[in-house]
Amino acid sequence: MITVEGLTKKYGSTTAVDSLSFTVTPGRVTGFLGPNGSGKSTSMRCMIGLDRVQSGTALFDGKSYRELKKPLHEVGALLDAGNAHSGRTARNHLRWLAMSNGMSPKRVDEVLELVGLTDVAKKRVGQFSLGMKQRLGIASVMLGDPKVVILDEPANGLDPEGIRWIREMLKHLASQGRSVLVSSHLLSEMALMADDLIVIGKGRLITECTVPDFIDRYAKKWVVVKSPQLDSLVSAAQSQGMHVSLGQDVAEFHGVAAATIGELAAKNNVVLHELSTQTGSLEDAFLEVTADAVQYHGNSEAQSKGVAS
Amino acid sequence: MIALIRSEWLKLRTVRSNITMTCFAVALPLAITLLTMAFIGVDSVDDATVSAVLLGSGSLSVLLFGIIGVLAITQEYSQGTIRLTLAANPRRTRVFIAKAIVLSLLSAGLTAVIVLVGNTAGEAILDSRGAVGKLANGDMGQAYLGLIALSVVVSLLGMAIGTLTRNPPSAVTILVLWPLLLESLIGGLLSIAISDEIFKWMPFQTGLNALLLEDSNMDFGRWGSVGYFGLWVLALSLFAHTVFKRRDA
Repeated sequence: MITVEGLTKKYGSTTAVDSLSFTVTPGRVTGFLGPNGSGKSTSMRCMIGLDRVQSGTALFDGKSYRELKKPLHEVGALLDAGNAHSGRTARNHLRWLAMSNGMSPKRVDEVLELVGLTDVAKKRVGQFSLGMKQRLGIASVMLGDPKVVILDEPANGLDPEGIRWIREMLKHLASQGRSVLVSSHLLSEMALMADDLIVIGKGRLITECTVPDFIDRYAKKWVVVKSPQLDSLVSAAQSQGMHVSLGQDVAEFHGVAAATIGELAAKNNVVLHELSTQTGSLEDAFLEVTADAVQYHGNSEAQSKGVAS
Repeated sequence: MIALIRSEWLKLRTVRSNITMTCFAVALPLAITLLTMAFIGVDSVDDATVSAVLLGSGSLSVLLFGIIGVLAITQEYSQGTIRLTLAANPRRTRVFIAKAIVLSLLSAGLTAVIVLVGNTAGEAILDSRGAVGKLANGDMGQAYLGLIALSVVVSLLGMAIGTLTRNPPSAVTILVLWPLLLESLIGGLLSIAISDEIFKWMPFQTGLNALLLEDSNMDFGRWGSVGYFGLWVLALSLFAHTVFKRRDA
C-alpha cells in the first residue's frame, strides 16, 4: 500500500509536483499516467527519497522511505534501466545491490533465473540490448521480494514481445498481492496492463479511478446511423437541439444514447440500416483530459470540463 | 555497515578502469624503483638511495589513488548507479562513510605493499650488485608511513572533489592542478603580497613534506604536515558530505 499525500516538489520557481495525493492498493496494477514532463518521474524520485520535497509525504505501509532499514525488502523501484555501470557484469551489478541490503549471492542467481538472464549473467551490461537491461532492472526490483513495486516507463523502447513480458510480469506481481505502480505516457499501454489509473498533468492530480471508469467518464461516445431516410432523421434530431455531423450516407449523433436515436427514428417512421454506439479511443480521452490540465490550472475545473464532454 | 562496506568494495573492484588504475598505482613506483636500482651506478649508492627513489615515485601513486577516489564516486553519477545506491541505502551518511573506509583501506593497504615490496626488492637488487652501505636511517620507516598516510588522505581528497563535481574529468583536473598549479600560483602571488611564509600554509605541498627523509627539514614536523593537510581534506570532505546528503540524486 502506497499513500502519497500533498507531495510538492519545486525547482526554483517552477513547481514540478503540486500537492499530489493518491493511493496505490495492493493486488492491483496502478497506472501512473501523464504526458512527458508532467512530473511522473519526479514524483517517483521524491517518493523513494532520492529528491527532497518541499512538503508532503509518501508512505509505504505507513512508513516513509527513509525509515526503511533495508528498503529493497519493502520497495522495489526501477526508475531507469540504464542505471547500471556498463562495464560491470549483470551478476556483479545485482550482487553489490543485494549485498548492500544484506542479501546472499544465491538470491542474485534466483532473480536472474526469474527474468531469464542466467545465460548472460557474466556478460557486461554495456553489451545488453534495451530489453535485456529492462529485464535486469526487473531483477533488481525483485531482489528483496518487495511488497511494493514502482516502475518508471518500463515499456519505453521495448519491442512488442518485451512489452508483453513486462505486462504479464506486472499482472503476475499484482496477483501475488503486491502494490504495483507503473508510469507511462502511453494510455494504450496502460489500458492493457493497469487496473487503476492515476492521471496527472503539470504535476497535479487530474483523476484517480479504475480504467473502465476512466473510459466511461472521459472517452467520447457517439451514435452512428445509416439510413435511406437520413435527411428526415437528421432534421428531427436537429429540431431537438442534438449535435449531428453528416458523412456520406452516415450521420453521427453526439451526446445522445443509441436508444434515443432509435426511438426518434421510430417516431418519424425512419428505416434504419445501422444504429451503433462508437467509443473514442483511450488515447483521445487521455489527450483531451491532459490538454485540459494544461489549459486550466485547477484540477476541479479540469475534471468538470472532462466530465461534461 | 559491514554489508555496505562489502558492497562498496565489490563496486570498486568490478569496474575495469578502477582495476587498471590500481595496477598502475602499484606497478609504477615499483617499476621505477627496481629499474633504477638495477641500472644505477653502484658507486653513487648510499643508505638512502632506495628510500629516496621509492618515495619519489610513490608520490605518483599517491596521485593515482586520488584519481581512484575520484572514480569511486563520479562513476556512480556518470553511470546512474548513484540512484540505486541511495534508493537501497537512504541513509546517505553511511554510504559516504562506507566509501571513504573502502578507499582508505585500499590505498593504505596497497601503499604498504608498494613500500614493503619496493624496499625489500630494491635492497636485494643493490645487494646482488655488490653495493655497500645498508639502510640504517631511522627516519626512513617514518617516511614510508608518511607515504601510506598521504595515499589515504589524497584518495579521500579525490572522493571529496568527485562528490562535489560529480563529473570525472573535471574532478581529476582539479585534483591534479591543485598541487601542480593552484598552490604554486596562489602561493606565489600571496608570497609576493604578504611573505614567503605563505608557502608553508599550502596544504598539498605541506602534506608532501611527509615524504622527506629528514624530519628536521619540515616546518610542522612529519606528522604535523600530514595532519595539517588532513585537516583541509577533512573540512572539504565534511562539506562534500553535506552537499551529498542534501542534493537531489
